[in-house]
Amino acid sequence: MPPASLERRQRWAVAGLTAPAYLWLTVTVFLPLSAMLYFSFLTVAPFGGREATPTLAHYAAFLERSFYARLTLRSLRLGADVTFWCIVLGYPAAYALARHVRGRWREALFLLVVLPFWSNALVRVFSWTMVLREGGLLDSALRSVFPALPPLDLLFTYEAIVIGLVHSFLPYMILTCYVSLQAIDEAVIEAARTLGASWWTTFRRVVLPLSVPGLAAGVVLVFVPVIGSFMEPRILGGRAGTLLGTVIEDQFTVVFNWPRGAALSYILLAIVLAILALAWPLLRRHLGRG
Amino acid sequence: MQPTASSFAFRTPLTALLAGVAFALSAAAGAAELRVLNWQGYGTDEPWAVKRFAERTGVEVVHDHFNSEQEMLTKLRTSPGAYDVVLINSAFTCTAADEGLIQPIERAKITNFADLSPNMRDSAMLNCGGKLHGVAWVWGVTSFAYHTGKISPRPDSIEALWDPRFAGRVGWRDDPVEAVSFAAIALGQDPNNPSDLDAVQAKLLALKPQIRTFWSSEDEWNKHMAGGQFDIATYWSGSASRSKTAFGLPVEFVIPREGAIGWFDGLSVAAGAPNADAAHAFIDYMVDPEFYVKWDTDVGAPASANARANARLPADAFNRTVLGDPENVARLHFMAPLSDATRERFLEVWEEVKTELAQ
Amino acid sequence: MRGAGATGWVVGAYLGAILVFLYLPIAVMVAMAFNESVLYELPLRFSTVWFERLAGNERLLQATLNSLGLALANTVIATALGTLAALAFARYTFRGRALLRVLLFPPITIPWLIIGTAMLVMFFWTGIGRGLHAMLLGHVALSLPYVIVVVGARLGSYGPELEEAAATLGATPLQTLLRVTLPVIAPGVVAAALFAFAVSFDQFVISYFLAPPGVSTLPVEIYSAIRKGFTPEINAVSSIIIVVSMGVLVLFARLYRFGGVGRGDAG
Repeated sequence: MPPASLERRQRWAVAGLTAPAYLWLTVTVFLPLSAMLYFSFLTVAPFGGREATPTLAHYAAFLERSFYARLTLRSLRLGADVTFWCIVLGYPAAYALARHVRGRWREALFLLVVLPFWSNALVRVFSWTMVLREGGLLDSALRSVFPALPPLDLLFTYEAIVIGLVHSFLPYMILTCYVSLQAIDEAVIEAARTLGASWWTTFRRVVLPLSVPGLAAGVVLVFVPVIGSFMEPRILGGRAGTLLGTVIEDQFTVVFNWPRGAALSYILLAIVLAILALAWPLLRRHLGRG
Repeated sequence: MQPTASSFAFRTPLTALLAGVAFALSAAAGAAELRVLNWQGYGTDEPWAVKRFAERTGVEVVHDHFNSEQEMLTKLRTSPGAYDVVLINSAFTCTAADEGLIQPIERAKITNFADLSPNMRDSAMLNCGGKLHGVAWVWGVTSFAYHTGKISPRPDSIEALWDPRFAGRVGWRDDPVEAVSFAAIALGQDPNNPSDLDAVQAKLLALKPQIRTFWSSEDEWNKHMAGGQFDIATYWSGSASRSKTAFGLPVEFVIPREGAIGWFDGLSVAAGAPNADAAHAFIDYMVDPEFYVKWDTDVGAPASANARANARLPADAFNRTVLGDPENVARLHFMAPLSDATRERFLEVWEEVKTELAQ
Repeated sequence: MRGAGATGWVVGAYLGAILVFLYLPIAVMVAMAFNESVLYELPLRFSTVWFERLAGNERLLQATLNSLGLALANTVIATALGTLAALAFARYTFRGRALLRVLLFPPITIPWLIIGTAMLVMFFWTGIGRGLHAMLLGHVALSLPYVIVVVGARLGSYGPELEEAAATLGATPLQTLLRVTLPVIAPGVVAAALFAFAVSFDQFVISYFLAPPGVSTLPVEIYSAIRKGFTPEINAVSSIIIVVSMGVLVLFARLYRFGGVGRGDAG
């Protein structure tokens, strides 16, 4: 088959495969977000006869008001903490599920991991308040075993937010890692073993690199939403729950400052993309195939 | 069934109006619908009230809710013609009117109009551009309430919120205007126009050891108070009355000697309302003593802007004893309209404080 | 069969611990559905009053049905569209691939409140308006990035060798897709479908903004109830949903072995 026509067929294939999804996204997400991007460069949202003039003031505000930067750092730290724990807890679970459990048990456990997803997030988070507060489940349980302990009150702390978010996002990490780990051919592992590699070496040089797509997907699906989260922080964090997500929300629910909210959102997006852009080559180099 | 003059007893002007609406609507079409935009659980959606209104006028009331005034404005801006009746805090009424989101009220259709307290009824906050755009409905006080079982004696100063005895036991509403107002009152400034925002901010930062958590809805407040997460917290008068009546919480509402924040809500008719006649009838029913007395007695409500309705409450009702006392009322600083820029400035102050509080 | 001996015990214990963590608040949630106190006060006093109230709570039941319908429609559409796009990314190199991938970030980075407001405004300007159709538009849009990323992760772990082999054996692209690619990426597609369902079923911000007066979904009801009278009826409906979901998933697992035809499966 002549190369030109193959390439044309390929282009049609690509277009056909991506067009439905991206057309949908364009109409429902990209266009509205473009409008928001436009708003972020205006003084006020152009509603109800308001005069809107172009300005960079809202972006500048991020640099001028130190608390925005402080909150962003807090949110990034939260994202990192939650992602870290999700990896530490989730990857081994995915590994165990993918490589040590077989048959019907595996499916059953897979489903059990997924099920909490489908419970309503708000109700779940509220249930956490019952577990973490003083006099709540955890405190009562510990004190029934060790009566001398002082009351444990984890509610309204940074730690409570982390616990709540890890709980919400752990299934994402387990699932994406599982999906990659389960694809690894048993034969490759066998080959490494027969060549004399220890379990650790096999893991480090064969399994881990092959599971990177899943791990990377998990990191993206956890780190990114956590940074902009506001529900778990508000309910579990109390005073400690002020983060960039809550402040962005305020621009829409407490004042009519959509341009400021939009600007902060896009700064957040830029920071996230920058971090991932920096991390990706590092990740590839260290865990490169081979 | 069409009412005829001889079979219908016009007991009150209100009944006449409702009958008129029913007549007009039944002549016009089948069952009509009235769309109301309000906070959830704030009077207009009381099941018995909706039922009664439907029985009298044949109009079914459908609700949509909002969780903040900005959300209410966003809904009005992006859904013209979707609503008939809107609840708007008086500080926002003229904002909505100036944007063309609400239409002028036809005074004649509100039979209870003359009974409304003049200071609210004729307030400049409801009369935008010389025309009436909102019917004063209920009013109340934002101050603080405390758990009588855990705090004694009764605090009578706003400084109680800053009292080290209550460190870590204070609840606070996450709202910039309210926060700035409390600090301003404590410092002796005008909450609607604080002269020294830096001092206000410092005062708010002093709350760091005090605040246990923020609350943002009445339900949260009840659960935290019941669960012991805080023992003294900022709160609204109507909600305090409900917490006592409906939830049996042992709390007392305090209007401190320095004063507290006063506010009143008005009911407006949305621009392009599909059912303006029924809208007026519904508003009239809402300010009628018949509705109000049952609402406050059964459920608990803010004070009515209708003086006659208030007077029909039982003598020991909270709205008569606390809010009926002119001395208390004299100490109130009523919320005034604020420009967007002022609100944004207050928000920045509050966000900076919250960031510090979060460390 | 599990791994033998000590490893098996360690694996079992670890997975058990993870499951305990994941199910702790669920257990609390279910327990509170049977607790008499309306303010969630401990100690527990057993009562089924909330389930009885739920049966009469038409608003909540209708909202739950709306949520289920939306979530199912969303799952089908988003999984289909997203899988196709993921295939394009994994099997073809083309100009603009990096850009398209980067464009998946805004929907998951930018807080849903902003997206919801932006959608509301844009739908108002373009005449799409509010309604179940608008909500479906929004839900699918938010689910797509998840589907694409998850299916992509599965595809990333498989090279194109199997498909190339099928092609040399004379299979048409469609046959390859249906008989080779899809079975092999099935776990990824199923995981993506489960995500899509969860994203939609639990979505309250977009639903809240785009729901017209009188129409509601379960998360919207719960969120609104939080503002005024969060009663354990919410726990009751959530508990029922969990139990029903468990039943559906178990049934599904019996009928269809979606653990996947992985190369790592020995039996």
